Amino acid sequence: MSSVEIHLTVNGEQVSAHVEPRLLLSDFLRDRLGLTGTHVGCEHGICGACTVMVDGAAVRSCILFAVQADGQQVTTVEGLAEPGLMSPMQESFRQSHALQCGFCTPGFLMTLEAEDPEDWPGEAGVREVLSGNLCRCTGYQSIVKAVEAAWNREDAE
Amino acid sequence: MTAGTQQLIGSHRPRREDEPLLTGNATFVADIKLPRMVEATFIRSPVAHARLIGIDVAAALDSPDVLFAGSGADLTGVNAYPAHLSFIKAVNQYPLARDRVRYVGSPVAVVVAPDRYRAEDAVPGVIVDYDELPAITTIAEAIAPEAPLLYDDWPDNKILDFPASDPEVDHWMSTLPLVKETFSSHRQSANPIETRGAVAEYRNGRLTVWSTTQMPHIARTTIAVVLGLPESKVRVIASNLGGGFGSKNYQYSEEMVVAWLAMRLRRPVRWIEDRAEHLISTIHAREQEMTMEAAYEPDGTIKAVRCDLYTNQGSGELYIPGVTSSLVSAGSLTGAYRISHSAVSVSCVVTNKTPSGAYRGFGQPEAVFAMERTIELVARASGVDSADIRKNMLLRPEEHPYTMPSGGIIDSGSHIEAFEMTQRLAAGKLAAARDRHAGDATKRIGVGYAVYVEGTTPTYFGTTGFWTSYDSVAVSVEIDGTVSVRVPMPAIGQGVESLTSTVIADTLGVDEDKIDISLGDTDLAPYGLGSWGARGAVVTTGALVKASNEIIEKAKLIAAGLLEASPVDIELSEGKYRVKGSPDSAVSLAEVAVAARANTFLLPEGVDAGLESTAAYDPPDLDHFPDSRGKMSAAATWSNASHAAIVVVDLPTGIVKVVDYVVVHDCGTVINPTIVEGQIEGGVAQGIGGALYEHVVYDQSGQPQSANFSDYLLPSAVEIPPITTDHIETPAPDMPLGVKGTGESGTIGGCGSIANAVADALSEFGWNVTATPITPGDVRGAIDSAGGPAPWDHAEHGGPR
Repeated sequence: MSSVEIHLTVNGEQVSAHVEPRLLLSDFLRDRLGLTGTHVGCEHGICGACTVMVDGAAVRSCILFAVQADGQQVTTVEGLAEPGLMSPMQESFRQSHALQCGFCTPGFLMTLEAEDPEDWPGEAGVREVLSGNLCRCTGYQSIVKAVEAAWNREDAE
Repeated sequence: MTAGTQQLIGSHRPRREDEPLLTGNATFVADIKLPRMVEATFIRSPVAHARLIGIDVAAALDSPDVLFAGSGADLTGVNAYPAHLSFIKAVNQYPLARDRVRYVGSPVAVVVAPDRYRAEDAVPGVIVDYDELPAITTIAEAIAPEAPLLYDDWPDNKILDFPASDPEVDHWMSTLPLVKETFSSHRQSANPIETRGAVAEYRNGRLTVWSTTQMPHIARTTIAVVLGLPESKVRVIASNLGGGFGSKNYQYSEEMVVAWLAMRLRRPVRWIEDRAEHLISTIHAREQEMTMEAAYEPDGTIKAVRCDLYTNQGSGELYIPGVTSSLVSAGSLTGAYRISHSAVSVSCVVTNKTPSGAYRGFGQPEAVFAMERTIELVARASGVDSADIRKNMLLRPEEHPYTMPSGGIIDSGSHIEAFEMTQRLAAGKLAAARDRHAGDATKRIGVGYAVYVEGTTPTYFGTTGFWTSYDSVAVSVEIDGTVSVRVPMPAIGQGVESLTSTVIADTLGVDEDKIDISLGDTDLAPYGLGSWGARGAVVTTGALVKASNEIIEKAKLIAAGLLEASPVDIELSEGKYRVKGSPDSAVSLAEVAVAARANTFLLPEGVDAGLESTAAYDPPDLDHFPDSRGKMSAAATWSNASHAAIVVVDLPTGIVKVVDYVVVHDCGTVINPTIVEGQIEGGVAQGIGGALYEHVVYDQSGQPQSANFSDYLLPSAVEIPPITTDHIETPAPDMPLGVKGTGESGTIGGCGSIANAVADALSEFGWNVTATPITPGDVRGAIDSAGGPAPWDHAEHGGPR
């Protein structure tokens, strides 16, 4: 199959590659760039585990082709903080036990990274913003707590 | 416990395994990429039941990208899975179907190419000729007199058939009033967000398999048997799983085939399941019918229970056999209730559906649903409040140890206290829900309870057919005083790394940053049975305490030599080995280790070099085989809990929403309450999903109708309500540190409590909830058949909402 040359920025680094048009962005990030923090859970855009940011918007990398990211800024979970450090949201997840197996966690973090807390008022707002990501371990309560704490909500414990 | 000086046990603490998971640096099986690695994809049966007439892979092999294409007949040297259980019929299963397929999704052939895209390109080149047979999908079809047989050499479709009779039960059934009802639990899928997968490499005569198995050593044993290899030449690594919940407790075909391919091709081979495959080829669970009869006294106390239990086992082509969750259903049915007599018959039937096996709760959610609904029916029939019936029948603390009629021995528990605490907590939540919907004629509010015990640390039989429940660890003190701990159990989200760190830090008196932990690697850790059955906190803790104690005893001997004191005068205090009475005369663990590992001339006479221990813990007093009536003590200890669900039912649409959920839980000594609460909350979410949303559906021909996440509905953050958890700690009298285990508990009460809550909310319509899932259609049907308001009758209140 013919390949296409793409140029994009991934976690602040310039990347150029020849890819088949059918190559999924998730497979490009994981297998070609070795950024395996982006996880693939359903491959049909529902579970949200593969969420990354493309030009500031949270997208499902399992239903996007790598060529669609040509010329854009891609951020993955590896780009949330400098090596050895964690973002306030990552640290809040740790403090609130907002992960168990951790497989879905990068997708939650990337969804949250793309959102403005002002758009999601109250606990109901937090649950709504999380509703596009599936977690099978936590029952979500600890994730809600982690987000409320990181967003400095008054009702956070 | 040995002189722990830190007392980390019992405190709320973040987990040590979290940072790599949060930063994308953890390694799951799908992340493993080896030089020259190629990828496999499986061809699966599209029909539910057929004879395999022929499989032609020639066209696939024509593709220049294809490195291998083959069917079961091509897997030379592969053995059938073992059949150890004398009381079930053998299925004679091979890793790829050889002459017959019995469910949609059954793997029949495999293609290997440089990557998955090219492997899938070649799939149309595999031509399979199926001679279709009539399919059976339901229990009723499977036991019908003229039913087609799935296995030609069986007389019927029952893979397991345990009759039950008890003259005492018959006596009470004939002398007391009865309630009788059939309760149906529906087929579900555990659906960890990480699907299954395997990577295999064969190098220098050794096979290494990275696997998503929850039981790496048992995977190793099985791979060795199926591939005909010496077990010593096989290494299985399952360090980090993206969830399991029982679905990864089996030694699936694909793993065997990938290992065989790595040996055949002399190249690493990877296979990662996709979600559509997962929903048809990874086990399902819970499809079970329980016909309950309960004989009760005028005060509602149940004297005896009879139950006929049928499980839809799917095709049965599963190793280890999936039948045992039904035995746990039977064994746990009477729970913590003082019901002296029970007779539970168990029949597991094969059908043309995906094999059925373990899912968190392992037969207990189904049993609790049947038992807790039965109590409500007795309450209705006797006119006694169901809460009073529960309190009258629940065991009091002093009645333990209590032998259930099934043979299980409940060691201890706080059943009445937990139930009463749940009632108090739920009362406030119920009142709040009623306030929120005051004056809204379209809503009905209800509360439902489920009280149960969870048998933990159960026994396992897969390797020989005899049951056991031990586990092991290896602990080594290195020359600088750091400690290496090798645990055979994988991390699956349960926090085993934090548990290990906490227990070692407290027992050995070392700082946690000096402890290194490896998980789930059969080359590093001694044999263990894996992570399932809420067993890790009990057996791993037991083995860790034992290993620590052995190291401490030896360290005391060495310290005595170094300090020129008598060993009996040495104590471990604040991380140092000190002479009693003169605390400044002390040596560190590192100084002891230097003597043990380098300056061995400093060792006292008779003390060998080295400072390590490989220890196994085997819980006491478990039966290793059921008795002639099928009774056995199969769980080492019993946690208990009480659940309350508060639901709001929307009458016009029939939609049930769980708006609050309360759990009061007793798992004995709590090592880390943060982790226990997380286990409970996650379990509750799976219980809610199971009661209301998740349903594996087949049509009559055996075609799956729910093979993606648009049709199989996992609950999201908006479906799961706030969950209130409270603890009681009744230490297990015979377990290390008093720990009981908690992994499955949160799920067990879900269907029972929610069904009772919906029945409570809709009591004016007299609906006896007997089946799950409870769908909007079911609710509307119940309202309609009771002559309740039609959806449009609510228009004056603003219409359906």
